[in-house]
Amino acid sequence: MTTYVAPVFEVQGVAKHYGATCALRDASLRLFPGRVHALLGENGAGKSTMVKIIVGAIQHEQGATTIDGSAVRFRSVQEAIAAGIIPIYQHLSLFPHLSIIENLSAFSYGSTRSLSAKSATISRQEAETWLKAVGLDLDPETPVEALSLGERQLVEIARGLGQKCKVLVLDEPTAALTQEEAERLFGVVRTLCSQQTAVLFISHKFDEIDALADDVTVLRDGRTVIDGEPRANLTRTDLVRAMLGEAVDIAIRDLPPPGDVTVRASRLQLHANSSPFDVAVRAGEIVGLAGLVGSGVLELASALAGARSAVSGTLKVGERAIPLGDRGRAVAAGIGYVPSDRHAEGLFPMLTALQNASASIIKSFSTHGILHREVESESILPWLQRLKLHPFQPDLQAGNFSGGNQQKLLISRSLSLPQLRALIVLEPTRGVDIAARETIHEAIIEAARNGAAVVLASSDLDEVMALSHRILVVRHGNVECELPWGAGRAALMQSLAGRAAA
Amino acid sequence: MTALTVPMKQSMKNRFIPPTSAWLTLAVFVLFALAVPRFATFGNIENVLRIASILCIVACGQAIVLILGGIEFSFGSSVALASIMTVLMLPDLGVAGGFAAGAGVILLVGALNGALIARFDLPPFLVTLGMLMAVAGFAATLAGGLPIDAPLTDAFTWPARGRVGGVPVPIIAAVLSLIALYGLLTHTHIGRLWYLVGANSEAARLSGIRVRLTIFAGYIVASGFCALASVILTSRVGSGQPGLAPNLPFETIAACAIGGIPLSGGQGRASQVLCGVLIIAMMNNAVVLLNLPVAYQQLMMAAVILGTVVLQRASAPIQVMWHLLARRGGSQ
Repeated sequence: MTTYVAPVFEVQGVAKHYGATCALRDASLRLFPGRVHALLGENGAGKSTMVKIIVGAIQHEQGATTIDGSAVRFRSVQEAIAAGIIPIYQHLSLFPHLSIIENLSAFSYGSTRSLSAKSATISRQEAETWLKAVGLDLDPETPVEALSLGERQLVEIARGLGQKCKVLVLDEPTAALTQEEAERLFGVVRTLCSQQTAVLFISHKFDEIDALADDVTVLRDGRTVIDGEPRANLTRTDLVRAMLGEAVDIAIRDLPPPGDVTVRASRLQLHANSSPFDVAVRAGEIVGLAGLVGSGVLELASALAGARSAVSGTLKVGERAIPLGDRGRAVAAGIGYVPSDRHAEGLFPMLTALQNASASIIKSFSTHGILHREVESESILPWLQRLKLHPFQPDLQAGNFSGGNQQKLLISRSLSLPQLRALIVLEPTRGVDIAARETIHEAIIEAARNGAAVVLASSDLDEVMALSHRILVVRHGNVECELPWGAGRAALMQSLAGRAAA
Repeated sequence: MTALTVPMKQSMKNRFIPPTSAWLTLAVFVLFALAVPRFATFGNIENVLRIASILCIVACGQAIVLILGGIEFSFGSSVALASIMTVLMLPDLGVAGGFAAGAGVILLVGALNGALIARFDLPPFLVTLGMLMAVAGFAATLAGGLPIDAPLTDAFTWPARGRVGGVPVPIIAAVLSLIALYGLLTHTHIGRLWYLVGANSEAARLSGIRVRLTIFAGYIVASGFCALASVILTSRVGSGQPGLAPNLPFETIAACAIGGIPLSGGQGRASQVLCGVLIIAMMNNAVVLLNLPVAYQQLMMAAVILGTVVLQRASAPIQVMWHLLARRGGSQ
């Protein structure tokens, strides 16, 4: 143990309420220089609140925070940054229309008292040094909107590195990164640690925690249940038990053999320079789509849902042809769709949970333009119960639910389609806690059991491998190869990287 | 599934949460009733309501557009054009035909706004601002810059001065408009679509909703409310005027904002329109009763808009808490 080193940052017994909801009751956390500290917990356990308190975005009600042993209370993110607490957010906080160099200067723009933006802009060499530190070789004048999602995340981290960084807070930094970019990031984090930076690392992925974390703190229901134990002393089962408070059983799948082809895309061409291909998904079959960021895997999945147009091709559900990109007809034909970006493409945050879940079936509970809201409740509430919406308050605004429960609303929206023939799910469990993940997986399997053709596109390979009858590997906008169930992680990784083809 | 019926019933309870604006309206009324002489008399209250009715009807339309995440400025000049059109058409079409022609012009402007915004994804702010100017120019050209007087027959003045069962027609029209807005927003298919599109148009599209048609329909229905108001307004002024009600769009936006409808879309209720309109109307009336300079009216309006917006923002967490407590009580 590192008992003789003083913690650089300490949180002691903090509490925080939002209205009537208690987000944190009694939570503690100690960060030591040169160590990566993983913060674990289900959605709703208080992780985000804890992180917000640490980075100064909100203020706690009880308890204390200390930096280098002296009490401190950040009143704003700016104060926390000035003290050396650098946040890297889960949702990118870059300015897409500005150049890399302007984005890298954002913190100094925030703290400058000069009216001239130029004097606060960092020098070109400085920018290049920061970019190199995260392994990016880019022109600092490039606008950020021209970068891939993975590159943007690295730019954001580069911005953090440019500060006098005592504590680096990484809130699910790898959610949008490819395996390669994630490895690069971990390298950067380890280098930083060797320079005595403390790192707070929030992730749902155990592989990453195994690879990176020195110490672990687990929150459950707003309390610290494991307080800074060295990772080596704990098994994964210990962690899961601490997070959930009980052991979880993994559902064993026993799906009947697939039926006839339900969804068929013919001569589908995604990009101008990619070649056309066919995809067919049978009733009761779960087809996994795997591909790295930028491979076209999300484009393929959304094209199959009629949510996105393509260069050419036809889409059929049974015998019914659906024009590419006509989501209205696709819904009428019974294609459910769970988009990858929950906030931008899925949620109506200020509408109620019920209204969110019923958005695709409004026609089914209206006659001559008049809504029958009792029919709406009758058709939606059973789904919300089956998906264990928590808290079970269908009239509460959707924005007040945790990420996992918001995702359940989007899944209910598709599952409640009167004649669900196909279900296209993208990233169903991104940023979702373990219990919700189980529920969502069960719902997807249940949809297949009831005869829907299911397409599952996810950057979580474990998820794709566990649920899919077969996996289509997408590269450069093409279906590169097909792997049967149980092909193994190594084979999948290899085809993702394209080594088999070379 | 039988086990599921019990919580379903419970979830239907406690749907009503009193909006912040309702308390505010009550507070303003009590304050003025106590502080302003002759405010709380029957005659004065009827007067307040009659004057507020036009604002109320147009604000119903504005609310729809705001829920859609849009904004509508062209009401300001389209009522002027409608008044001119009505008066010009009176000799040929008669009173009913003249009013219909005026209303038709407003529906046409609304349809044009809706088409430009929905079909070409143009920003509502710019489209309706441009339309405000274009229609104002057209109205001035048509009228030759001067008001055109209408022959003041009983039929022509009935929409503004008539009474049904002792109640002034404009007040009846305003109440019906509010009921229609309430019905549209809570009990119709298209009303639900307005909320969904206004809350997140991309999510609405991906849920299978015809977003463009929904927006188009919203602007047309909104202009329908404005058309109704234009009939009363034209009847009241008894002439076709190129500069009839230039502040109408701003007052309706103010009324909605004071009632607590955010300009960001996806939210808004008929009760909020009513509260916002009543607060503005009571304030304007109090200024008159107290013999204050008209400039005070604008200053008070500004203070009320800013004050209520701040108050609404601050009370949002209280609303959530209220909801949670109400629910907890209901399920026991």
